[in-house]
Amino acid sequence: MPHPGWTDFNFDGIGTRWQISTPSPLPDGHRRRLLDVVAEYDSVWSRFRPDSLVSRAARQPGTYKFPAEAADLGPLYGTLYRLSNGAMTPLIGRSLAQLGYDADYSLRPGGPPLAAPRWEDVLEWDGTVLTTRAPVVIDVGAAGKGQLADLLSAELLAGGISDHFIDASGDLLNAGAAPVEVALEHPYDTSRAIGIVTLGTGALCASAANRRAWGDGLHHVLDGTTGAPVRTIVASWAMAGTAMLADALATALFFVGGARLREEFEFSWLTVYSDGHAEHSADFEGALFS
Amino acid sequence: MHTSLRKNVLVGIAGLSLAGTAAGCAPGAQVTPAQTTQPAPSGSAAAAAGSYQDGIYSADGNYVSPNGQETVGVQLTLAGGSVSDVVITAHPSNPNTRKFQGEFASGIKAQIVGKQLDEIKVSKVAGSSLTSGGFNQAVEKIKADAK
Repeated sequence: MPHPGWTDFNFDGIGTRWQISTPSPLPDGHRRRLLDVVAEYDSVWSRFRPDSLVSRAARQPGTYKFPAEAADLGPLYGTLYRLSNGAMTPLIGRSLAQLGYDADYSLRPGGPPLAAPRWEDVLEWDGTVLTTRAPVVIDVGAAGKGQLADLLSAELLAGGISDHFIDASGDLLNAGAAPVEVALEHPYDTSRAIGIVTLGTGALCASAANRRAWGDGLHHVLDGTTGAPVRTIVASWAMAGTAMLADALATALFFVGGARLREEFEFSWLTVYSDGHAEHSADFEGALFS
Repeated sequence: MHTSLRKNVLVGIAGLSLAGTAAGCAPGAQVTPAQTTQPAPSGSAAAAAGSYQDGIYSADGNYVSPNGQETVGVQLTLAGGSVSDVVITAHPSNPNTRKFQGEFASGIKAQIVGKQLDEIKVSKVAGSSLTSGGFNQAVEKIKADAK
């Protein structure tokens, strides 16, 4: 819990552990509605479920109508695809599966790295309507966890619970009035932190090469132009107004410099490199231990 | 001062260095003298070292990143099954290191330093994607297979 006396609601969703903290216990009705939001999101976007909408699109090219959240994901991914010259793409699903990050978590490479298809060749993303010209595997994992946090926050707000804190296994959304002190997890040692930041109202998300590391140099941050993992940057943090934005930008920092991203997005950033040095925007000044 | 900051960081990442270096057992091509010796941290790094021989291990890590080749030299000292010293050298000739050092005019640079979470009073940690039990079990299985 982020504040003394608050209570936590814990559950699993979209392959990760969630904790929603509120000043007083959430009534059962609220909890059920939150779980419904999670189930709904999973049924659309999970490429691990054969019955999901993205799995159907992966089998059969065509025109698919997605829920409202697609209209936020599309432009965000579009901008990041452009800024990263195609490296960050929602078409990375097959590349991830090729390296073993598949529905069965086989964690064994199925072959050499596979580049993602070019967006402009195979996908038209118009608001909530996606038209595919090939059987492509859409993966919105770089922004989806953050977006689901935003959707859960909206559900709580709609239910009159304005004060809440959402922890999606290290991706954080603070919708409470009070700021929360947050430790920045060490990229190579989860028992350590490299700094502390104060999270006011807004989101702080992280991306790193450590937790989903497997095999020889393989981890889950893949370059869409080659299908191979990115190795130079080991961890990144992004602070933004929404968790979707913070989540996506934390991944984008693996491909695009923070200063360049700041030209298009309002956010704060911190990037740690494999040689142990860090770079950050002025907002992270003083956050790192020295 | 720069060196001592770096060393603190490197002690923090000893767990990873150990796995990569000891497994590789590469000859000591890159030798950088240590400035001081610090005691090994307890915890995961020391525990992981249990089955390794004492000695000084060195290896270069080569990485092909989208920006080009990156090489990092690692020297690790194991004593009594624990990591007693770690030195990492970023080779100045590689393009990424030059990029770190020179080009980020608008960014601010610092060396990261690790502190034990127990020593810090925070209620939340922002970190990388934790994963479900199923995923973590699979990772443990792979690690066991790899031994």
